[in-house]
Amino acid sequence: MLSAFRSALATPDLRRKILFTLGIVIAYRIGATLPSPGVSYPNVQKCVADFENQGVYQLLSLFSGGALLKLSVFALGIMPYITASIIIQLLTVVIPRFEQLKKEGQSGQNKLTQYTRYLTVALAILQATGIVAMADRGQLFGNCAEKVIPDSTVWTLAIVVIVMTAGTSLIMWLGELITERGIGNGMSLLIFVNIAARIPAEGGNILSSHGGVVFGVICVVGLVIIASVIFVEQGQRRIPVQYAKRMIGRRMYGGTSTYLPLKVNQAGVIPVIFASSLLYLPDLISRLVGNGSAGWQRFIATYLVDQGNPVHILAYFALIIFFTYFYITITFNVNERADEMKKFGGFIPGIRPGRPTSEYLSHVLSRITLPGSIYLGIVAILPNFFLSLTGSGQNQNFPFGGTAVLIMVGVGLDTVKQIESQLMQRNYEGFLR
Amino acid sequence: MALAGRLRTRVRRFLARPGTVDLSRYSDLLKEVEWREDKLRELTDEELTEAAAALRDKARAETKKDKGPFDDGDLVELCAVGREAGRRALDERAHDVQLLGTMGLLAGHVVEMATGEGKTLSGALAAAGYALAGRHVHVLSVNDYLARRDAEWMGPVYDLLGVSVGWVSQNSTHEERKEAYGKDVTYGAVSEVGFDVLRDRLVTNVDDRAQRAPDVALVDEADSVLVDEARVPLVMAGSTETDPGDPEVAKIVAGLRPGAHYEQDEDGRNAWLTQAGARIVERSLGEGVDLYTEEHSDRLAAVNVALHAHALLTRDVDYIVRDGKVALINSSRGRIALLQRWPDGLQAAVEAKEGVAASERGQVLDSITVQSMIGRYQRVCGMTGTAVAVAETLREFYELEVAVVPPDKECVREDEEDRVYVDFESKEAAIVELIVEKHKTGQPILVGTLDVAESERLAKLLAKADVECVVLNARNDAEEAAIVREAGAKGAVTVSTQMAGRGTDIRLGGSNGSHEEVAELGGLYVLATGHYPSSRLDDQLRGRAGRQGDPGGSVVFASLADDIVAQYAPEAEPGDEPDDEGRLTDATSQRYVDHAQRVAEGVNLEIHRNTWRYTRLIEKQREILLEYRDEVLTGDAAAELLEERAAKRYKELVKAAGEDAVKAVARQIVLRHLDKRWTEHLEFVADVRETIHLRALAKETPIDEFHRACIPAFKQIRADVADAAVETFKEIEVGEGGTVDLDASGLRKPSSTWTYLVHDNPFDSDAEQALQKVRAMVKKVKK
Repeated sequence: MLSAFRSALATPDLRRKILFTLGIVIAYRIGATLPSPGVSYPNVQKCVADFENQGVYQLLSLFSGGALLKLSVFALGIMPYITASIIIQLLTVVIPRFEQLKKEGQSGQNKLTQYTRYLTVALAILQATGIVAMADRGQLFGNCAEKVIPDSTVWTLAIVVIVMTAGTSLIMWLGELITERGIGNGMSLLIFVNIAARIPAEGGNILSSHGGVVFGVICVVGLVIIASVIFVEQGQRRIPVQYAKRMIGRRMYGGTSTYLPLKVNQAGVIPVIFASSLLYLPDLISRLVGNGSAGWQRFIATYLVDQGNPVHILAYFALIIFFTYFYITITFNVNERADEMKKFGGFIPGIRPGRPTSEYLSHVLSRITLPGSIYLGIVAILPNFFLSLTGSGQNQNFPFGGTAVLIMVGVGLDTVKQIESQLMQRNYEGFLR
Repeated sequence: MALAGRLRTRVRRFLARPGTVDLSRYSDLLKEVEWREDKLRELTDEELTEAAAALRDKARAETKKDKGPFDDGDLVELCAVGREAGRRALDERAHDVQLLGTMGLLAGHVVEMATGEGKTLSGALAAAGYALAGRHVHVLSVNDYLARRDAEWMGPVYDLLGVSVGWVSQNSTHEERKEAYGKDVTYGAVSEVGFDVLRDRLVTNVDDRAQRAPDVALVDEADSVLVDEARVPLVMAGSTETDPGDPEVAKIVAGLRPGAHYEQDEDGRNAWLTQAGARIVERSLGEGVDLYTEEHSDRLAAVNVALHAHALLTRDVDYIVRDGKVALINSSRGRIALLQRWPDGLQAAVEAKEGVAASERGQVLDSITVQSMIGRYQRVCGMTGTAVAVAETLREFYELEVAVVPPDKECVREDEEDRVYVDFESKEAAIVELIVEKHKTGQPILVGTLDVAESERLAKLLAKADVECVVLNARNDAEEAAIVREAGAKGAVTVSTQMAGRGTDIRLGGSNGSHEEVAELGGLYVLATGHYPSSRLDDQLRGRAGRQGDPGGSVVFASLADDIVAQYAPEAEPGDEPDDEGRLTDATSQRYVDHAQRVAEGVNLEIHRNTWRYTRLIEKQREILLEYRDEVLTGDAAAELLEERAAKRYKELVKAAGEDAVKAVARQIVLRHLDKRWTEHLEFVADVRETIHLRALAKETPIDEFHRACIPAFKQIRADVADAAVETFKEIEVGEGGTVDLDASGLRKPSSTWTYLVHDNPFDSDAEQALQKVRAMVKKVKK
């Protein structure tokens, strides 16, 4: 592994790409810690210290690498860009003109990308205004008494909004630069950086509050978790497939390299995000109804909001398993897959195309999804057992479990694979066997 | 207005947009060229040749590889000498814009010159320029006919400049080829030159090589060669183990009914058996045959291929049957593609369908795409009438920039708006009506149709309307020159396929008539019966009219029922009610027609990009292996290998047959195993390529996974070859007088080899699949 890294760095072309990516990541981190003009840094510090991450902020804060609550130049992170791409994707289904553009190949795609950028800027202005307004009214940090933006004239606020919007545009550009000239997918890599950036701080917390022994154990446990996640993420069921459209002499390699792969964790991280959002809903409703002492509200507070409670953990686990199946059913259409194979002359040896094939696929898929969903559930609930270390209500903050580790490992694997693929083209041994 | 236009050009140039290379530096030189003219006129022919030779000596003294071969002073000298040579040899004094084109070519650009501006002379002067700078030039044309014509036509110019010239064609013998490639400038069809590359790669004797190392390529009709043809691989095949196309299967498939026994998708790219169809085929093939098992997969492939031939390929559209042979029609040129064959048994299936004798078929020994063939040259330049439209593509795939040479005389052709009709019948009726009307005035008309069948149907309709017309299509390509010569005559109506769309020069008045008379009638009128799959092809057809400042007109008819619309914009609906004649004048309909063409262009670009992405690695591997092959071919690497691995045997053989004979035998053994092993590797790669898109299901990147599968397989080759060679080496027997019969050892050379172009991938590409998925999703959501 290390020697492979060395050879990656020894390949001039690849070295340039890796260094370029690192350079952008550094620039990105600097921007994420740099406070916006007009924001009082000491006051923000004080407020953040008092403030406990709660519900809806958890994910946002996770994705922005803490930049949001620091009201930094890059406070908005890449969320506006992600939202904009999702919106444009959806619009291609609704608006005929977008649909046409999408079909026109490269030139149409370029136009859509341009629209996505415009929409990103618009969304960034909206979000920045919202955050600045909340900060100005002191709502951003619950009940923090300090004034985060001391000079609350319209001009100062406008400047903060403009700076944050510009920051998002800059991030968008940085991400595209990585995709174009660096290594890996720029957007996912920046998310990766945000999540990874929190590890040292969390580690420091644990070290200072629980001492070296606990810290050491946590580190070992963390590594074990990461290793097992990597192991499972690479697990595949390979169904042999043949395409009988070409007449060639003898098929001497049949089956070894032509297969249809099904991942053990075919659903990825999405079911976890779905489940945690759904679990947060009752809490939200209960808060909206008013500070409740009604029976159901007390029930929610005891069993669902408290992340250490067995009921919460159990519900979380069950929801994840449900959503894994649900998500795979809607995204992996076995009939479509079987039809497509039939159309292009492919078949699974021993199984007739069409209906029998789709039945076979769905059989294999449901079998493989069971261990997959249990694995997802376990990884997701792991942090809940370490609450005593990280403080209650901060399950996303534990960097060795849940969404964080799933995303990190996913992006990491992709990037390594890309480096490896480029390396292989230059005739080197790969990272992974 | 002019100022705004100039400003726009400046801004685009500043942004380095494609197609904006600045030629003004060169136009400044044109005055100097003119000053030199008078002095050069006084020279004798010999002195002119000497003046050119002086350039050659100077260039040799200072070799500049990367930059253009000449500095400004030499460029002026070259253009002046070239212009004078052209004037003397051809009685054709090169216009300023032609010289500008020459200079653009020498700078290594793709030059866009309007049709009829005399590209051939520009190209010849540039080729001579490179040759005088000591380089070796291949002028790549689109077909044999043009290569030979241009070489012979420009021959006298080259003679005056002291540059030797030769040409190769399909029928050239090996000696002729060797001689032609030995000249300073060699003309040849791009496929022919490519096949020579392939042949040279498989020689087992150093002396058998025809070509020298590639140096400069000057590409004629650059957009056609570099973009349209680039996704077509040139293939070399050998008849190793053949099995003929199965007439039995063809018969069974011919009895199947669409809908019940097989289905096909709307855009006519795939056909597949239904459950019922599969059962019928199985029953017909014999008891107990289950097509969908490993052991019968060859049978299934035969059935699928036969079904493809039966359901998706139409006689007179995709191919014609002539002289008992199936001949493909090149869709972007409308010509018979003599050398093209369908891949992987499809050719045999079509032959079985038409009941003609099966042509030879065999294993793919080696292949190269046009793109990587071009990539071998140190320097590439090109010229065409339509380059700006593909400027971005040229930059992406070839790192070539497009320079636009302004026309000598402003083009005054009137391009009318599209006429869009609601269905096919009303379109055809309107076409005939317009032709009849125009024909009455005596204005010559060129009708461009989409395929052979359509051209013939239209000719019949015109005959019914008492309009006399001449048909030019792939079926009567022998009369092409004669038909084109008269196409501009007064009252001529020529119905053609894409054939007339490129390279033909239609003179107003024909061979005997008066140019002025026809010009007064409005010049040539070009009528296209539908949009081609790219706007460039439309423009090329339009370009037949309005050459060199002549008057002319053009119009494109389209309908929402046209194939291109049905295939690429199946959702098209008229935005308004058609009028009584079925014509649609609303903007929506027009937009759908344009949209369909843009989708077609996008799909083709994507196919090109995919071909490129997936062949790049394989070409690289081929290069690496060829390096080793060269070592074996030209040295004693093979003997050393075998001496080390089988020392005892080696000594034995040397004692029996002598050192030199053993070395030669060792070389042959290793070479043959290398070639055989490479063939197997190509099969493996094709296999992987077919299913690699499925990897996306596991969130993997198909292209990366493709590399992951192919690279280890490649690394195995050298070791396998060494093992196999040692094995053979131990088994061969030494005959009388130290001769060794390799063929007897079971290691045969292909009994015969031949070359062909694989016609387009007839099966679906990844891109197409993705598009279809999106389409299906959208439809579902809308419902």
